[in-house]
Amino acid sequence: MRIRQKAQAGTMQSSDLMVFLEPGDELRIDIDSTVKKQFEHLIRQQVETVLARHGVTTGHIRINDRGALDYAIIARVEAGLKRACE
Amino acid sequence: MVVELISSRDRTRARELIEQSGLRFEENFQTLVGVFSGGTLVATAARDRNVFKMFAVRADFQGGSLLGELVTELVRGGYHAGFQSFFVFTPPRTAPSFRALNFTPLLNHHKVSLLEYGNGLADYLEKHRPLVRQGQNGAVVVNCNPFTLGHLYLIEEAARRVDHLYIFVVREDRSIFPFEVRYRLVSEGVKHLRKVSVLDSSDYAVSGVTFPSYFLKADDDSQALQIELDLVLFAKHIAPAFNIKKRFIGTEPYCRTTRLYSEEMHRVLAPFGLETVQLQRKTRDGEAISAFRVREALRREAYQTVQRLVPPTTMEFLRSREARAILERLQSQQRRH
Repeated sequence: MRIRQKAQAGTMQSSDLMVFLEPGDELRIDIDSTVKKQFEHLIRQQVETVLARHGVTTGHIRINDRGALDYAIIARVEAGLKRACE
Repeated sequence: MVVELISSRDRTRARELIEQSGLRFEENFQTLVGVFSGGTLVATAARDRNVFKMFAVRADFQGGSLLGELVTELVRGGYHAGFQSFFVFTPPRTAPSFRALNFTPLLNHHKVSLLEYGNGLADYLEKHRPLVRQGQNGAVVVNCNPFTLGHLYLIEEAARRVDHLYIFVVREDRSIFPFEVRYRLVSEGVKHLRKVSVLDSSDYAVSGVTFPSYFLKADDDSQALQIELDLVLFAKHIAPAFNIKKRFIGTEPYCRTTRLYSEEMHRVLAPFGLETVQLQRKTRDGEAISAFRVREALRREAYQTVQRLVPPTTMEFLRSREARAILERLQSQQRRH
């Protein structure tokens, strides 16, 4: 899959996250989180896993997280990807 | 569920809720959203370009999820409208609620807090990192509507007094010469100077961000407060990133707003260890050169006068086909800036 257009998924509710995706020449993942200090690396790991599973190697992905659990992160990133790759 | 408030009846309800919360309703916004419960509006908020404002949640619904819902909707709409990051100006007591929603505080004033959603400022600084120079650097923030010999003189004089000079061209497009043109004329006009860099001010210096005054009291001077916030933002975030120690301004004979700005500058920047240096304006024919004077001459089609006030690069542009539409607009319009 390839990110072809701007897309967004998720909400700013507690335990959720917002994902913003844009086309780009290289892969860039920016993470902002209320629990960034403790969990940034784990959030990044989840995002990278989902991207890898869909073969996404380029694009700019911004995560704005409010303490989401893994399954929420996976679901939101996947939903965003589907919108961005349509 | 958050819905957009479009009908005049819903907007009146929003106004009532906002006023009941001790805030003022402002007409300028692109989107007004709200949440209903049992037929009554219990929460509302608005977005004006990249600024969120007029958040009001009825007391018995506070502390729950409504603020998050409102923000989600405003971010979603704003993102689709092409904005990456967003500002919110709030009374200091509500700033923590926005911090919990991942807003980053940019500044805290006793009357207002400014927070940002997204990485706008960090991205801006990151993008310009290659321009960072060590040393005792200086800055000018200029509109250049259009670029004159006066600007050139100010820049040359300023550049002589520092190791490197940063020229921030005001992004805001409220001037007759569009940003792209103003920026280009500055860049071309200073090409012969080493040790200067031209930058887009973005939203972070003499900001294009419309300062909302909805939470201020009637006797607060919102213009003075906006100027102060703008200067603090510069001093706190921009100046340190570029090793800027001095900010230069020209003496201001004409514009009241600009003069007020200059006066505030000394007062606000000093506590941050930033020196304000006021330079005497260059004169021509016994009068200070200003962009205003150039525009007046253009209006009268007095091109010989214009030629005496602007560098060849600007003159060349004014003679070009591209400038024609701008000159026509200028002649049909009377504006302050």
